[in-house]
Amino acid sequence: MTIFAVMCAGIFPLIHVGRPWLDAYLTPYPNQHSLWVNFTSPLLWDVFAVSTYFTVSFIFWYVGLIPDFATLRDKAVTKIKKVVYSVLSLGWRHSNRHWQHYEMVYLILAGFATPLVLSVHTIVSFDFAVSIVPGWHTTIFPPYFVAGAVFSGFAMVQNVLIVVRKIFNYEHIITLDTLEKMNKIMLLTGSLVGYAYAMEFFIAWYSGSPIELFTFVNRAFGDYAWAYWIMISCNLLLPQLFWFKKLRRTIPVMFIISIFVNVGMWFERFVIIVTSLSRDFLPSSWAYYKPTIVDFGMLIGSFGLFFTLVLLFTKFMPVVSIAEVKAVIKGAQPSHHEDK
Amino acid sequence: MSENQVLFEKKKIPLKLSIYGILILIIGVILAVIGTAVDPVRTYFNSVIGFTFVFSIGIASLFLVALEYLAGAVWSVPFRRISEILAGLLFFVPLLAVPVFINPHGVFHWSDPAVLAQNPAINAKAPYLNMTFFIIRNIAIFAVAILFYLIITRNSQKQDVSANQNLTKINIRLSAVFMPFFAITITVMSIDWLMSLEPHWFSTIFGVYYFSGSLLAALAALTLIAVYLHERGYLMKGLNSNHFTVSVH
Amino acid sequence: MDNKKIYAVTGLFDTPDEIIHATKKVSSAGYKQYDVNTPYPVHGMNIAMKLKHSKLGYFALAFGLSGTAIALLFMYWVTAIDYPLVIGGKPFFSLPALIPVTFELTVLLASIGTVVTMLFLFFRLPNNAHPLHDTNYMKKVSEDKYGICIEAKDKLFDAGKVRDLLISLNAKEISEVYYDEDYLKSNFKVYTPQFMGFLLIVFIVVSSAIYYYNNKMLYKPPYNWMMEQDRVNPQSKSSFFADGFGMRQPVEGTVSRGHLPYLYAGQPEEAGAKLVNPVSVTKENLALGQKKFLTFCSPCHGNFAKGDGRLNNLFPVPPSLHSDKVRTWTDGRIFHVITEGQNLMPSYATQVTPEERWAIVLYVRALQRALNAKEEDLK
Repeated sequence: MTIFAVMCAGIFPLIHVGRPWLDAYLTPYPNQHSLWVNFTSPLLWDVFAVSTYFTVSFIFWYVGLIPDFATLRDKAVTKIKKVVYSVLSLGWRHSNRHWQHYEMVYLILAGFATPLVLSVHTIVSFDFAVSIVPGWHTTIFPPYFVAGAVFSGFAMVQNVLIVVRKIFNYEHIITLDTLEKMNKIMLLTGSLVGYAYAMEFFIAWYSGSPIELFTFVNRAFGDYAWAYWIMISCNLLLPQLFWFKKLRRTIPVMFIISIFVNVGMWFERFVIIVTSLSRDFLPSSWAYYKPTIVDFGMLIGSFGLFFTLVLLFTKFMPVVSIAEVKAVIKGAQPSHHEDK
Repeated sequence: MSENQVLFEKKKIPLKLSIYGILILIIGVILAVIGTAVDPVRTYFNSVIGFTFVFSIGIASLFLVALEYLAGAVWSVPFRRISEILAGLLFFVPLLAVPVFINPHGVFHWSDPAVLAQNPAINAKAPYLNMTFFIIRNIAIFAVAILFYLIITRNSQKQDVSANQNLTKINIRLSAVFMPFFAITITVMSIDWLMSLEPHWFSTIFGVYYFSGSLLAALAALTLIAVYLHERGYLMKGLNSNHFTVSVH
Repeated sequence: MDNKKIYAVTGLFDTPDEIIHATKKVSSAGYKQYDVNTPYPVHGMNIAMKLKHSKLGYFALAFGLSGTAIALLFMYWVTAIDYPLVIGGKPFFSLPALIPVTFELTVLLASIGTVVTMLFLFFRLPNNAHPLHDTNYMKKVSEDKYGICIEAKDKLFDAGKVRDLLISLNAKEISEVYYDEDYLKSNFKVYTPQFMGFLLIVFIVVSSAIYYYNNKMLYKPPYNWMMEQDRVNPQSKSSFFADGFGMRQPVEGTVSRGHLPYLYAGQPEEAGAKLVNPVSVTKENLALGQKKFLTFCSPCHGNFAKGDGRLNNLFPVPPSLHSDKVRTWTDGRIFHVITEGQNLMPSYATQVTPEERWAIVLYVRALQRALNAKEEDLK
């Protein structure tokens, strides 16, 4: 899902540069202009961060799939499946001499992927935070965006997991305990996002800068107040329901809350961008933004691409890591091992 | 009782540690008095540094205890008591703040009416940055934090004797309530004691910044003490390098 | 069946405990060329097989550090040596701004490098022609059984002894695995004519596409709109403006940078009375004054301001500046003359900055004192 989401997300910078046919200029290659890219620009940091994130996530995902492709190869019925899975599994033989290195590399990749996730959304937040636009130029943007990313990511995964577990009958693998723990994390990250809202508001007053204060009051009570309050209720108020154990363990409730969290997080990005831009430093460009069919089309299109890829994946590839689950079920490990 | 009961014997900490502690305390007090006489403003700044440092260890240790309860962590139970004791620092931290209140004007420029008259920017913050509200905030925060500390640690100590599982459940609930309070506390204290030292300046990430520093300090203090005690056999025999690797991370 | 080359003898087990036990026995029996196949990594197997710790961690470190080094060195070369640009007033090599890219390249190189090393160097994958593929053993091991495979390459290998050992360990489905004969006989070549032809076609297609894109497509509409737009080019005529000029006059009242209005225009006595020389008497200022005097003033006034300039009477000769009248003038009065000119002398305000004019005044004063020296001046 990460990979498909990054693919959808990566399309947008390629478009919003203005002249998509010159996207190659974003990469530092020797050229006849003797020009290099501007390494100090957040747009370029984005290029490196998103492409690294895509590449490393893809590698992480693929390495995890190798043993599963091998299993599928050995169970394949048709010739085509056999050939495809043989190629994809690279000839993996489940040899323990290989498992030993495999475990180490998987651990290393996980160790790299974690700071990478933090860094990617930090760098995305820099697109806003290093500008001087009021409402964007706050130091809390990196942890705010990272917490928000974890928040909306968990909500999306929650939605997909609930559907998948019902369709594939995986209730014994994706247990209610797992879902409950995910809800707790959503409560935590939603509260972190709420903390960031409160901090921004307080510091906007504390700063004594009338521009900052105006920006935040405008968000809550200006033209886009409707978007702001949708955001607050979906991101901050709704997840508070997860304080109650009964609600944490009820599937329809958590499914609906997850959907609203995703809606709320979309509105958060909308509020940040549109409210600040509609009242920036150039009064001649102050206006009320009305999205057109083109804007909606692109949004729906990205949903379409994402879900197409996800559904193709669930049809042809194992949604649950077969080898990993086998390793943790009861009776999987020898009873007298001391090696932890 | 049950077959999983862990037998323990109370070992006394050697007396010389307490003597060293008291000696350092006396030296510290003498130095503070000398400092206040020689260069008061500098001494007050130092007391602010000491205050915020020790406070951060105290409150973040309580945070660690609460976090371990909430996450249902089992691996940290052998040395949770150390964190609980470190949280007890909260009792003594207000003493470190005493020197500043002798004359706050030198340290907290916003408390000086002369500065306020000349600086409309600082004056704008006066509804928040004024001495009365400052003192009320600090007293309230310490009162509530110490209350949490007392209840959680009393429950933990009661469990030593009674092995009552219910106490864990109560502590988990308390930890859940403690978390939002902790977020507010750490933010307010960092703004009051550190960010207001330069009242023209502001940063939204400051609370988070102070939080990460205090978590690090609390973990480091915990690790140092745990290693010291473990080497001398005060802690559970089963502790191995895995426990310490995780806590360092 | 008769002259088939044997690869190994394999045996299957049902539980993790059995396979660990069996592995320990096989290892202590002295076999070195053997392998254990399990559907997932079994804890304790590495110890049972007496495997050394994986060295891939060091590879990851090495690749990561090279990523950092490559990123920093490349960006240093680009920003400070090859094409330095002042961006936002920051230094050429501004390390804080370059950290995000450095971090990303570190992680990228470390991840790719480690995985590629593992797959291609350590595992020698992809390899779909291994003798174990498509055997019943592999199918079982992929699913839910655990297997040991003792290879014929081992020094102690003897098919019968190995069989007996496996039987004694309660292995199920003991079987021999043979090399695939066709594979052994085949002489697989990578660079066949077909493959080379394919590469050639790919090369031609990619090169022509790039050539067309860079040299033709970018000059066709709509891709050329930015190049061909109506705009004012510097120092060219323009149909956009009525007078046809691309370059416009500055707006009425525009002043040049650093310009200060002269308060005593047309008022020599006021200037003489009010203006005070702000330039102090230092070697540098005198040197500056001398230089400017020699450049601008000496053609008419002469090198020593005596009025004997090198114009040789081709232009009316100015009076000497050592007359009593000029010697009693204040600094400000002399400054005014340089700024506004008088009689035939034009204004030098456009050629000499105010500070330079004051320096010239200093120099004139020095000349005046030199040509009318008193006893004390020689001390």
